[in-house]
Amino acid sequence: MGKSTLHRFNLVALSLATLGLSQTALAGEDLFGYVKGAEAMPKDAMELYQKVTFRNDKGQGTYRGINYETELEYGMSDKFAVSGSAKFMSLDTSGLIIDGYLPKEKEIGFKASGLELGASYMFLSPAKDDIGLSMTTSLDYDWVDTHSGQDKDTLSLELGLQTQKYMLEGELIWVGNLGMESTYADRAPLNNLPEDFDWPTDPEMEIELKLGTGLSYRFAPNWFISAEVLYETEFETEVGQERWSFFAGPSIHYGSADWWATLTWLPQLSGGGEQYEGQKDTGLHLIEKTEQEVRLKVAFNF
Amino acid sequence: MAHSYLNSLFFVPIVVVAAPAFSADYLTIPEAQALIFDKAAVFTERPTLLSGDAKDQIKKLSGVRQRQDNQPIWKVEKDGQFLGWFFVDDVVGKHEYITYAVGVSPQGEVLGLEVLSYRETHGGEVREVSWRSQFHGKTLKDPFKLDEDVSNISGATLSCRNLLDGVKRLLVIHQLFLTQSA
Repeated sequence: MGKSTLHRFNLVALSLATLGLSQTALAGEDLFGYVKGAEAMPKDAMELYQKVTFRNDKGQGTYRGINYETELEYGMSDKFAVSGSAKFMSLDTSGLIIDGYLPKEKEIGFKASGLELGASYMFLSPAKDDIGLSMTTSLDYDWVDTHSGQDKDTLSLELGLQTQKYMLEGELIWVGNLGMESTYADRAPLNNLPEDFDWPTDPEMEIELKLGTGLSYRFAPNWFISAEVLYETEFETEVGQERWSFFAGPSIHYGSADWWATLTWLPQLSGGGEQYEGQKDTGLHLIEKTEQEVRLKVAFNF
Repeated sequence: MAHSYLNSLFFVPIVVVAAPAFSADYLTIPEAQALIFDKAAVFTERPTLLSGDAKDQIKKLSGVRQRQDNQPIWKVEKDGQFLGWFFVDDVVGKHEYITYAVGVSPQGEVLGLEVLSYRETHGGEVREVSWRSQFHGKTLKDPFKLDEDVSNISGATLSCRNLLDGVKRLLVIHQLFLTQSA
């Protein structure tokens, strides 16, 4: 962590000061890896989640990142839930240097990388009303850059809207998501950088927009198969639209009374914006994203 | 990188904290029959095979699909007197099917509801007398709206709604196919 302890303390203090606006995942059961439903968990219910996301391949050299998130969610009322999570990561990158983003080869075995606090509120119930509607907010503080593994303080506030519709008495489920994330980021200086290598240490501001939709079908008791599409784009202080990507992929979900699990494969189908020098596949954004992600979620109900 | 994967084992201990939830087969069909009607009643099975047209009619009047072609129904009599009909049905729960039984009077009024199996995370209250008794006396003249004439159970809204819709569907079957059968 290249920044001073005092600086980090200030960021954490800011996070806590704005705690009233936060949320991570949406209540209850995730049939999808990335898009979320609109159902709330009941009052006093608790759920423990473990998420593991494997990010693989930037088209050149070796790039393998694993993000871990352990989250606890609690139903404050039948409509309002709060959550907190701890984040960890592993990274192995070699044979690829990206000016401004990936300054050095890096290998991280396992490291704590961030904290997240959140809340969700359900306005309309998908099972009772014609369509479900919920809002989520989350406050995320990271001290490691998930892309490069370098020290970087990042504070993000995310707001999201989720819609959900049950069809065929709940055997077919549609969800739609809209999200916006504002990020303040501050990199630690690095020594021994290549000549003319850009590694700005001035604070940056980024705004990311996310649109997602998914359809899930219960093909047998306890078993759901799903497909989701996700569009993400990011705007940054100096470059305008820095990146955009379309992702789409399937999920398989098993849910029972006590626990559930979801496995998702999400390849990047197309993307654009900034590209690194020598990038072969010019139809994807591979600086901050990878060619594919695989995510496993496991959760237990209390 | 191999040791990075091994680090995933760090999270394995969370599997030991899974909490028990509602998950059980509570009643057999004969037990449900005795609870809704009478131990001394005579139950005569009347399997009802529903054609495609019949299922379309049921959906039109009840608003929900009739998934099963064969609806298990028993005619109930005691001492030669016709008491009504006994239905066993499945509806979609969040994870598994909910099996329940309903007694219907000759006039099409709900006499009782019993939950035979329920295996969902939340909503075990569907078995409680206070919730089930809200169905007593229901007819097709009632609105069958959650939180209007039957209360919702938080965390089990889909199950409650599907049980409510299921009872309405059984009353429609009674109205269409059983009122002339006594």
